[in-house]
Amino acid sequence: MTDVYLVGVGGQGIITASRIIGDAAILAGKNVLLSETHGMAQRGGSVVCTARIGEVYSPLIPDGQADVVLSFELLEALRVVCKASKNTVVVSSNERMIPLSVSSQKLKYPTLDEVRREIAKIAREFVLIEASKLAGEAGVPMSSNIVMVGALAGTGLTNLDKKHFEKAIEMSIARNVKENLAAFSKGFDAVSTRSRT
Amino acid sequence: MLLLGNEAIARGALEAGVAVATTYPGTPASEIGDALARVAKDAGIYFEYSTNEMVATEFAIGAAASGVRALVSMKHVGLNVAADALMTFAYTGTRGGFVLVTADDPSCHSSQNEQDNRYYALLGGIPLLEPSSPQECYQMTKDAFALSEKLELPVILRTTTRVSHVRGPVVVGEIVPGPKKKEFVKDPKRFVTVPAVARARHLILLERLQEASKLADGSALNRVYRIGAGGRSGIITSSAAFNYVMDAAKMLGMSTDVLKLGFSHPLPTHLIVEFLKTHDSVAVVEELEPILETSIRAVAQHEGLKAKILGKADGAFPQAYEFDQAIVASGLVKAFGLKGEIAKTVSVDLQDLPVRPPVLCAGCPHSATYFAVNKATNRKAIFASDIGCYTLGVAPPYNAADLLVCMGSSVGTAGGLAKVNDQPVIAFIGDSTFFHAGIPGLINAVHHGHKFLLMILDNRTTAMTGHQPHPGSDKGPSCCDITSVSIEEVVKGCGVKWLKVVDPYDIKTTTDTVKQALTQNGVSVIIARRECALIVKRDQKGAILKKHYIDQEACKKCRTCVDKFQCPAISSIDKVQTIDDTSCAGCGACAQVCPHKAIKEAR
Repeated sequence: MTDVYLVGVGGQGIITASRIIGDAAILAGKNVLLSETHGMAQRGGSVVCTARIGEVYSPLIPDGQADVVLSFELLEALRVVCKASKNTVVVSSNERMIPLSVSSQKLKYPTLDEVRREIAKIAREFVLIEASKLAGEAGVPMSSNIVMVGALAGTGLTNLDKKHFEKAIEMSIARNVKENLAAFSKGFDAVSTRSRT
Repeated sequence: MLLLGNEAIARGALEAGVAVATTYPGTPASEIGDALARVAKDAGIYFEYSTNEMVATEFAIGAAASGVRALVSMKHVGLNVAADALMTFAYTGTRGGFVLVTADDPSCHSSQNEQDNRYYALLGGIPLLEPSSPQECYQMTKDAFALSEKLELPVILRTTTRVSHVRGPVVVGEIVPGPKKKEFVKDPKRFVTVPAVARARHLILLERLQEASKLADGSALNRVYRIGAGGRSGIITSSAAFNYVMDAAKMLGMSTDVLKLGFSHPLPTHLIVEFLKTHDSVAVVEELEPILETSIRAVAQHEGLKAKILGKADGAFPQAYEFDQAIVASGLVKAFGLKGEIAKTVSVDLQDLPVRPPVLCAGCPHSATYFAVNKATNRKAIFASDIGCYTLGVAPPYNAADLLVCMGSSVGTAGGLAKVNDQPVIAFIGDSTFFHAGIPGLINAVHHGHKFLLMILDNRTTAMTGHQPHPGSDKGPSCCDITSVSIEEVVKGCGVKWLKVVDPYDIKTTTDTVKQALTQNGVSVIIARRECALIVKRDQKGAILKKHYIDQEACKKCRTCVDKFQCPAISSIDKVQTIDDTSCAGCGACAQVCPHKAIKEAR
């Protein structure tokens, strides 16, 4: 059983990413449940999806119970740190989307070191991914979300094969399939070959 | 295949041979209609986005009373609008299968309340099915049509956000087209509910409910799941709560029996009695109202049963907000006095983190409208708001909402506000919401001479729920030929004498027009018309937009562009204001907002 908590900002392709994870699980012959955020929350707000792989009934992941937190935006990784525990790997994109409250309420966007330090207090490991850069290198700058799916696969915590993810990407991406597969691989390699501290 | 709960409902309806499907979009129900809109033409069924839930329901009643199968879907508060039709349709009953889907929203993820629509089943005497998973959404939609025809009654299929918006594996069957036409056989003693008919039909409804209760007792949708070796303690549950019960029981290592009610009204009384007889204590686990709990207590009292019934009355389970497996586990520990270990969570102090609430998009015409209104009124006005993206104007810097209760309420409440207040009153309503529920309020205001300004924020679509068309749209869904209804003509037809149409991107004209409107006696109407920026962005893919930038030499750091205006593309970090090139929609509103002309169009 693997519980993946996906978080980011509306418009980052999180629902697509969660569907690829879902399709990969089905291809691997496993049960999967995804929960999605629709409606009002999507207008530039924090967006959450969950993917629970295995014999589960509930689609939700209570506090402290995520195996992986997959964050598409740096600040959001910190915001949902309550979902993590000493067993959790937090994988976050280094992308920063400055919320309007930073401008209007003069609040401070935390530094990378602050984010890393706070998450390290709670989670087992914090892994940072240059998702946007890797997507650009693969020739699909808009596919940061596919890089993040690769990063998830690279943790090895989903117990799904790389080939299941790749097939799932082929199924759900209409254009630039080759480049998107490259984006996936870049995310995968970035995590699977990381140096552990 | 992996299907969203809502898509599974659409699939189930197609396999059940539905002939007519209607809806008014609303989260978390919208994807049922959206899925059917996409396939309606190929499937040969009739689908429409109706003007509101009442019309959607009445339309489906007309079809089902004739004998074909009809599906109508809506969010929970939509059923308040449709209730008038539904309550009496239970008296006449139906010929063709009639299924009404209500998608409830515990925790108000995208709603103004978290009312529990199972009460409508009790109120109207209407059989109720409650799926827990996408597979059950599919299956129970088919079952609901069969049940509706067997009992000749409408059936409510009730989901929640965590059923409608969960994607999971669904095994589907064959689509079997049903009859698309049936001749209405006249039977006024059944279908025309004058008092004499209504009185007779009420007795028939009560008889049918007796029959329905027997069907519920024998239904495969109501079954016991044994966990471990079972035991003398049991759980009765339904809907999404069932999922949390199953995971919580596993977390706690419980040995118990779980009675899951998929067909929960009328209550399967015999099944409940048997369960209460074979268990010493029974926890009733349901989100929101203690509907099962209260009915089960009544059954126990009636039958003189001794089983201890545990639930919300003893404080084991909360009556507000949605559950998850952790909440249910802690409730079960409390209810049964278990020694279960609930994993402690680490509390983290995140109070200083910048919040990220939903906001109006870059290029959103509502932003420009609200800026103009604040400028025109110097913020000395009362704002009656309504349901839609523009409700987000409640937040600073616009503070453009002071009262909101339901769809269309801006127009009605504005009259009352104006009657007892000396400040100017401005009502804001979206185009789709105006057609949905704004028109009677406007007629009332004209007729009684109420003095306020109604601003119809016309972005040409139902934006919040996913850009569904409405009666004023130029184009319908691919399945439909439509005639566009002019808002101006409707407003004039309601008797409004002072009407202006403005482009909100023209802030000066909008501001002046608002000032002018507020000098009028009686009701004045401004239509602020500009297409939703997201649609423009989608349709103009790759087109060159008039991107804007802030000339840092001309910028006087007055912060007007972030303190009085709000655009996700404009940020102010370390006292420097900049425009993000990729998010800028090129609307040019900010250039008009800047008092120092420091915001310029990029060449």
